[in-house]
Amino acid sequence: MKNNHISDLIPAYLDGTLDKNTQKKAEEHLSQCPDCQKELEEMKTLFKAFEDDVPHVPTNRLRNKFEEALEAEKESLGKMVPLVPKKKSNWATNLLKVAASIALLVASFQMGSLFQQRKVDGDMAILKDETLQMKQTAMLSLMENQSASKRIQGVNYIEEFEHPDEAIIQALANRLIHDENDNVRLTAFEALSKFSASDTVKNVFIEALGKEKNPSIQIGIIEMLVQIQEKKAIAPMKKLLEQEDTQPFIKEQIKAVLPKIT
Amino acid sequence: MKKMTLLFTALILSAMAHAQNDYTKSLNGIEWVKIESKADIVVRTYTSNEILIKAGDRHEVSERAKGLRLVGEGGNDNTEVGFYVVQDGNTLIVKNLRKSEGAEIFLPKNQNVAVKSTWNGNIEINGFAGEIEADAQLNGSIEILDVNGPVTANTLNGEVTVEFGAVKQSSPISIYSTNGAVDVTMPGNTPADLSLSSVNGDIYTNFDLKREEKDGLKSVSGRKVNAAINNGGVNISLKSTNGNIYLRKQ
Repeated sequence: MKNNHISDLIPAYLDGTLDKNTQKKAEEHLSQCPDCQKELEEMKTLFKAFEDDVPHVPTNRLRNKFEEALEAEKESLGKMVPLVPKKKSNWATNLLKVAASIALLVASFQMGSLFQQRKVDGDMAILKDETLQMKQTAMLSLMENQSASKRIQGVNYIEEFEHPDEAIIQALANRLIHDENDNVRLTAFEALSKFSASDTVKNVFIEALGKEKNPSIQIGIIEMLVQIQEKKAIAPMKKLLEQEDTQPFIKEQIKAVLPKIT
Repeated sequence: MKKMTLLFTALILSAMAHAQNDYTKSLNGIEWVKIESKADIVVRTYTSNEILIKAGDRHEVSERAKGLRLVGEGGNDNTEVGFYVVQDGNTLIVKNLRKSEGAEIFLPKNQNVAVKSTWNGNIEINGFAGEIEADAQLNGSIEILDVNGPVTANTLNGEVTVEFGAVKQSSPISIYSTNGAVDVTMPGNTPADLSLSSVNGDIYTNFDLKREEKDGLKSVSGRKVNAAINNGGVNISLKSTNGNIYLRKQ
């Protein structure tokens, strides 16, 4: 049995967990084999050492020290831009970026629509201007039409213009002074009488009064000139008084209004 | 056979007599016919596209004037009926050279006509669909009946009577008189913007006038009335300085 060492069984022998047969055989072998006895002793010592070994619990001081050190380490780490806050700030930056791009989008949309609006406004202004231009062209060309009704239509276009320019006033003046049709002249007079504040119109009225043969227009011009107290009207009125072909009621009208112009 | 010869002679004679009193001229390329006369003028429609002038029946050439031409203010008689007719561009100018003899003139329905009476002549225009201009510069009156187109009429001392058929066009109607009355009849459904005014006369109508309101106030001036009928449309302006205005529903 010399060679039949039981070193494998020693820990179980020491723990007392071997069955009786194996226990007996192990005891027999141990009593004869010094090697195994030696090994048993060593094992016993080891086991005893295990049992005797008291776990070293760190003292409070050590714990405090450790925590201090940890705190210190944490603090030093905090100064070094820690990972988590960095991540957070990345997310915030992204949010900011998104917000910024949305803002940019909105802003550019707003700007775009503003410019578009401006452009549209500009276009509208141009269109309006063009419409007025077209109306003016239509008006001026209608006033040259062969048909008296069309010329009257042209003259009536004056209602479309709040501030007619010199070309329109001049065209109306031409109708009042030179048109062969009495109805056109009377309509032109009525159109011009809305702008009697203009010096051009006043002078046109005075010129027309010297030429006009239609009593209806004569009386209209006389009333208008009296209303605006135009002193230059006195001379053509006196001339009308002297003319034989002036209608009697025109003469009476002139006699009645002449003293009113002071 | 003798009877036949007689009939033929009579026909030829009557044709010759007819020819003496009538004048015709084609209206190809003519847009406006402008008639000027001191005496009465009646203008009527017919279907032929030419102008037909029927001079007064009393027209006879005196023995003394035989072989001579009538020379008038505006030109020489080139029609044998006492008229001077000349084309100026797209306008046919027709002048009555006789001071006291009127005439009847026939024109196609759609012809644009301008008639001017420069002395005592009355103007009568009947049945046109084209544009009409009538001007009685002194004592004549104007009567325009059964018309559809734009009308411009003006008198000094005579009155103006106009009876419209349907009024559909866009160009304005303008009827003025200084001393005479203006009397206009038109269909009750005529859409129009009316402007009626009389300085010394009165305005009468049986149209329901919706007067223009300014700041909620209705115009009450008797001298001038602006109103829209049937929601507005063609501009119709009727004016008289010393006469009355009558606007009637048909």
